[in-house]
Amino acid sequence: MTDKASDTIDFGYKKVAKNAKQGLVADVFHSVAGKYDVMNDVMSFGIHRLWKRYTIDCSGVRAGQKVLDIAGGTGDLTEQFSRRVGPQGEVVLADINNSMLSVGRDRLRNRGIVGNVSYVQANAEELPFADDTFDIITIAFGLRNVTDKSKALASMLRVLKPGGRLLVLEFSKPTHEMLNQAYDFYSFNVLPKMGQLIAGDADSYQYLAESIRMHPDQDTLKGMMEAVGFEQVSYDNLTGGIVALHRGYKF
Amino acid sequence: MRLLSLVPLLLIERCLNDLLALDDASDERLQSLQGKRLRVELEELGQPLTAAVHGRQVVLSSADTDAVDCTIRTRLAVLPELQDTANITRLIKADALDIDGDIMLAQQFSQLFLQLDIDWETQLAQRIGDVPAHWLGSVFKRSQSWLKQQTKDQQQWLQEVLVEEKRVLVGKTEFDIVKTQLQELRARIDRLERRWREQESS
Repeated sequence: MTDKASDTIDFGYKKVAKNAKQGLVADVFHSVAGKYDVMNDVMSFGIHRLWKRYTIDCSGVRAGQKVLDIAGGTGDLTEQFSRRVGPQGEVVLADINNSMLSVGRDRLRNRGIVGNVSYVQANAEELPFADDTFDIITIAFGLRNVTDKSKALASMLRVLKPGGRLLVLEFSKPTHEMLNQAYDFYSFNVLPKMGQLIAGDADSYQYLAESIRMHPDQDTLKGMMEAVGFEQVSYDNLTGGIVALHRGYKF
Repeated sequence: MRLLSLVPLLLIERCLNDLLALDDASDERLQSLQGKRLRVELEELGQPLTAAVHGRQVVLSSADTDAVDCTIRTRLAVLPELQDTANITRLIKADALDIDGDIMLAQQFSQLFLQLDIDWETQLAQRIGDVPAHWLGSVFKRSQSWLKQQTKDQQQWLQEVLVEEKRVLVGKTEFDIVKTQLQELRARIDRLERRWREQESS
């Protein structure tokens, strides 16, 4: 580890060595994997289902397409994509975290989602797929935890087919000041306590709140997507900007 | 706002799919619609509604802006009129309806629900058990046939009052007799007329 600023990266509000972030994020998700779904419902009051459904509706997914769900975690998006691409299509659920991947795999198999879903443990920065492979790539609540976001976006652009689209669903910056304050209070006072109560892990949820604040806001992320080569980049604010859905195309 | 409008949509979608799952014949109808997409733009709704069939489910969306197989632009009040295909040309001419794409598709979508034939007694039996379901079913059938009998009796009574007591209308037999007599009279007149013309000319 070195003290040089260029070699460090944010981990929540802390600065850590670049090569350490991946391991630290992994620890967070190893810790919460089992309770991940319950916590999502509790923390977002179930609204995360609507955010994800909106993402699917915007994806334009058709039967027979190939979809990559990066940081797919417990497989919420994969499940819906799997139904929509049908037996001729394919959905790849990729997650860097082994614990999350196995929770997702078990959950989907229990729900009878088999046949057109495969599971890959992969780093978003170096996706292990050939160029021009996927029609749609989604990354829902995952980009925040990636160490080098631009590198990850470039990697996604590479594996996307020409004409394909990337959908980034991620926490963002609320557009109203009042909402912003209420949201801050909720994130730093209520959230870690709920994390402690339900998942027995306050630190992971403290990290969650901090990492959301450190994540680039709507326009910055839009700029980053354009910088690596995505075209017609646009975003929709959902729930007052607490979450934003960014869309970009490869032509 | 985007998300709020999703809530009723998801509830409706759930109900529709639950209904479809109750009828075994739905699978066949869904099969012919596989991958097809229909968009309805109602003036009253403000945002387009897209329906698509994926596997054994109908999926509704208000955010979907991708290409569809058929788009219908109209007003809520016009929808019931679309049941009859004969109306379509007239509605288009009256600017009350605009169709882009395959019109048959729209009808197939509506048939999906109009042709639903659900065996409620079987469905009920799976939920509350065979005996109560059978009892409810037979109560329903009995009340239905009672209702039918009552309507028939009432009609019979009304008929008797009008024909026999008040003599406002004539009965069928009486009418038939008069009709036959009239026809015979007509025939006799015709014969007489012919004979008269023959004698006149000779």
